[in-house]
Amino acid sequence: MKAFTNVNPRTLEDAVSALTRSRASGARAVVSGGGSDLLGLIKERLVQPDIVVNLKTVAGLSNVRADARATTIGGLITLDALSREAHIRRDYQGLAEAAASVGTPQIRNVGTLAGNVCQRPWCWYLRNGYACYKNGGDRCFASSGENQYHAIFSQGPSYIVHPSDTAPALVALDARFRVVGPRGERLVNASEFFVLPRVDPARENVLQDDEILAEIVLPPAVSSRRSTYAKILDREAWTHALVSAAVVLDMDGDVCRRARIVLGGVAPVPWDRPRAAGLLEGQRVTPELAAAVAEAAVSDARPLAKNGYKVPLTRGLVGRTVLALARQ
Amino acid sequence: MSVLGQPTPRIDAASRVTGSARYTGDVRLPGMLFARVLRSPHPHARITAIRPERALALDGVKAVITHQNCRIVWSSGDSRNTRYLFNNPVRFVGDAVAAVAAIDPHVAEEALQLIEVSYQTLPFLLDSEKALQPGAIAIHPGGNLSPNEAGVRQPEVYRRGSIDDGLRESELVYEGRFTSAHVNNAQMEPRVSVASWDGDELTVYASTQGISNCQRDLAKDLNLPLERVRVVCEYMGGGFGNKNQCHDFDLMAAVLAQQAGVPVRLELTRKEDYVAVHGRWATHQYYKIGVSRDGTLQAIQLRGYSDMGAYRKSSGSIAGIELYRCPHVETTVHPVHTNTAVAANYRAPAYPQGVFGLDSMMDQIAHELKIDPLEFRLKNATRAYHDELPYTSYGLEDCIRRGADVFEWRKRWRRAASDTGVVKRGVGMAMGSFAARVGRSSAVIRLDASGRYAVHVGVTDAGGGAKTTMAIIAAEALGVPLDRVTIVSGDTDRCPYSIGESGSRTTNFTGYAVVEAARDLKQQIETRGLPTGSVVLIGSATPEPVIKGAARYSFAAHFVEVEVDVEVGGLRVVKYVAAHDSGRIVNPLTARSQVKGGVTMGLGMALHEQLLYDPRTGRPLNAGYYGARVMTHLDAPDVEVLFVETQDAHGPYGAKPIGEPPIIPSVAAVANAFFNATGRRIRDLPISRERILEVLA
Ligand SMILES: Cc1cc2nc3c(=O)[nH]c(=O)nc-3n(C[C@H](O)[C@H](O)[C@H](O)COP(=O)(O)OP(=O)(O)OC[C@H]3O[C@@H](n4cnc5c(N)ncnc54)[C@H](O)[C@@H]3O)c2cc1C
Repeated sequence: MKAFTNVNPRTLEDAVSALTRSRASGARAVVSGGGSDLLGLIKERLVQPDIVVNLKTVAGLSNVRADARATTIGGLITLDALSREAHIRRDYQGLAEAAASVGTPQIRNVGTLAGNVCQRPWCWYLRNGYACYKNGGDRCFASSGENQYHAIFSQGPSYIVHPSDTAPALVALDARFRVVGPRGERLVNASEFFVLPRVDPARENVLQDDEILAEIVLPPAVSSRRSTYAKILDREAWTHALVSAAVVLDMDGDVCRRARIVLGGVAPVPWDRPRAAGLLEGQRVTPELAAAVAEAAVSDARPLAKNGYKVPLTRGLVGRTVLALARQ
Repeated sequence: MSVLGQPTPRIDAASRVTGSARYTGDVRLPGMLFARVLRSPHPHARITAIRPERALALDGVKAVITHQNCRIVWSSGDSRNTRYLFNNPVRFVGDAVAAVAAIDPHVAEEALQLIEVSYQTLPFLLDSEKALQPGAIAIHPGGNLSPNEAGVRQPEVYRRGSIDDGLRESELVYEGRFTSAHVNNAQMEPRVSVASWDGDELTVYASTQGISNCQRDLAKDLNLPLERVRVVCEYMGGGFGNKNQCHDFDLMAAVLAQQAGVPVRLELTRKEDYVAVHGRWATHQYYKIGVSRDGTLQAIQLRGYSDMGAYRKSSGSIAGIELYRCPHVETTVHPVHTNTAVAANYRAPAYPQGVFGLDSMMDQIAHELKIDPLEFRLKNATRAYHDELPYTSYGLEDCIRRGADVFEWRKRWRRAASDTGVVKRGVGMAMGSFAARVGRSSAVIRLDASGRYAVHVGVTDAGGGAKTTMAIIAAEALGVPLDRVTIVSGDTDRCPYSIGESGSRTTNFTGYAVVEAARDLKQQIETRGLPTGSVVLIGSATPEPVIKGAARYSFAAHFVEVEVDVEVGGLRVVKYVAAHDSGRIVNPLTARSQVKGGVTMGLGMALHEQLLYDPRTGRPLNAGYYGARVMTHLDAPDVEVLFVETQDAHGPYGAKPIGEPPIIPSVAAVANAFFNATGRRIRDLPISRERILEVLA
């Protein structure tokens, strides 16, 4: 790896000013959470920073706070801690399950929630240094290459899938992201945080180079709401999802009042399926209905040459996840 | 009480798990430099210019070697072509272009960026059958079909009976095409070498499966007398066949150390390990099999292609035919060059892929003939090697029968696709056999007045527990408790010749030498009494046993039950029984571990491992543990292990190999269970979720 300087800020303001100052001096600066993704990128020389701003030294960014208006999660909480947090497990089960499904215990012990959301795609062309959109190039090698792990929902020009397990759960749970930068802070809806390649083929989200994802804000717990995250991978652990589904149901007895289905592993951003979810509203969730929902979730899929299998896989996963959650 | 046959923990377990064991990567010598290797980004290219000047000018860089200033031939890197440490043209992505030694690994890596290389790219080939088509570019002079053992550019052919008559006279003939993928040995310990010169004497701390063959190869390639080369490997972290003999990085470390005048340490990254050393050869297999209506085999014909990658390091055979009794057999196997990572020895090198194809065929035939696959195996299993030579001991039939009993095959097996659920159960089985060779190795046992028996054996203990096995055999042969035995191993200065830990030979070769050395020592004790004062007794032996008129083999039969989720394509192993005839079991604890480990590796190969190339650029896309999907603990099933202990007159106390056999049947057994569950056969490895969903669609 290329040598870099590590900066340990104490506060978010210090972190932001470290970023702006380095930028002003022409240095390339990046932030680091657990570093589990970043270090790999640096070792492969896909990112060559002069300065790494280490957010782990910022105080107060790894707790969960809850009051009547919101539940606020510090972006620097580790995935392991998040998955064990009693409050999260009870009221936002889908998020706890998503965090627990990431990689391996080692990754979850160091990986942070913000880092997980902001991790770069794991497309093998990107990770092997091909000059693709995501590496500052002007093409997608996967679109007509080895695309078995790629998107079945994308209008291009890049066909990566968003890799984060927590992102679909956060979108499904209506999270908002508190973003802090030199121009102050803003609160961005999770569903608007992630950007399609059509909008910007080089980025996966709206963060500017000098902005930090500080906290994640969830709407208050509702007793009729239940959520889950189901993930399918091609071995039992230690890989990203081939396909995943975050499902949230508001139930009134055995009738579904409101539903949200957000898919992972199938599109360049967490893939919201409002039409499929809408079929559930006001209905009893029967196996037949779950099958119809599953079909609706994939009816507009446009697989590439080698990832057609993801269509039945997604269908199967959505159907059984919806049904299991309704019967929970 | 005898220790042989008792489950015995490894004698070096405590040092391994507490971290006090000094592995090769832990070796630090005064003034030691760190080396890195620059590798070709092109699958096939001629280097038109290479300029190391800017790298050499970087502060801290002490030596740079390239094909221009280092013309050393790496003899064990290719058995047919001349392979240099640095080749021009480069023939695969990862082929070494230069090596740098510097004061720390970061400076060395920085220096790699400064070496200027101009390449003229050449057309490249990634597919073994396409590589043989007329007009294909030649990766080596003379063509892409690598010469056979006789040195002739012809495929390797084996024949018995008359294949044409056999196929013509068969009542039924079945055909099938199967493919297997390149998978990596994926051993835990990365590849590392530390070389140090003292005048004209070289010491290499290697991570090797064989200190003796590593020493021999280093001496040969560096043109040194054997006695000026010392190889040390105190603790070893696995190799599964790709750490035998000396490697190019051992030689690079030695050359850099010579140039720099200080010791040099060269460690490869995991990615380099995947692309730049070797894995298992991928195959294409075409079968034609003739049977009579009652299921008796009449003829087996195999035409196969083995993708050896850019260099020829190993046989490229496709094995398994010897598992079956059959009057007419013909196998024609083409070892082929492509511009991909080299393929060579990996645990039972020629077997799991061959048995996958062959035992899938047999399973299919049994199904078509409506015969229980168990009965089909019992009917057709080998009773004599190549239907000709008797076996020195034979436990295959017992493995099948007893394994089937423990598995409850007759209760579990139903016709294929009988399960109508979303999650379908199915069972499968397959057989395996592996040569149980005997041959030359040495052992020395030293006894002084303290009453300790120091057993000097040139093993490194690649993971199978060789140090413990040698201690058990010595204790048994000497008639003393295990704690009176000390093992001195892993150093060519202190140990006599030992066969490398490959071909599952260590227990049989070196263990037998220990028995003989103990016999020698006991005779001396008988005549001279136990040593007192400063007297030292030394027993030694270099037996060279041979077997005439018989074949010696280990055998196995595996049984597996799987659940296939047809909606989401998952395959889960729910029951696994592995029955093994490895003769007398020296240490049931480590022997069981060998079986579990072999099965686990086989399942990885069966279900998800694969080194994948981008067809347009010829670059590997998924090198490493993450990308190539090696097995995790959560993927490893419970394996019930059963030993059928046949009596064998050879080897130490009748022990036969156990290291390699367990991976042999596992791939085919799982593939057959998938068929039994679903009624669909997957003919291309791995049987990934992707493929499962495709065949079920
Ligand atoms: C072997 C392996 C397996 C994996 N498996 C999975 C998996 O199954 N599921 C999954 O979801 N992920 C997986 N990952 C990715 C892993 O989850 C992420 O690497 C981890 O969650 C990232 O967290 P981190 O804190 O270490 O991020 P870092 O590595 O520190 O950062 C990741 C990226 O986000 C940026 N970043 C970090 N924090 C912030 C912030 N607060 N604001 C703005 N930008 C920020 C960094 O600059 C960097 O670009 C895997 C990774 C590996 C190495």
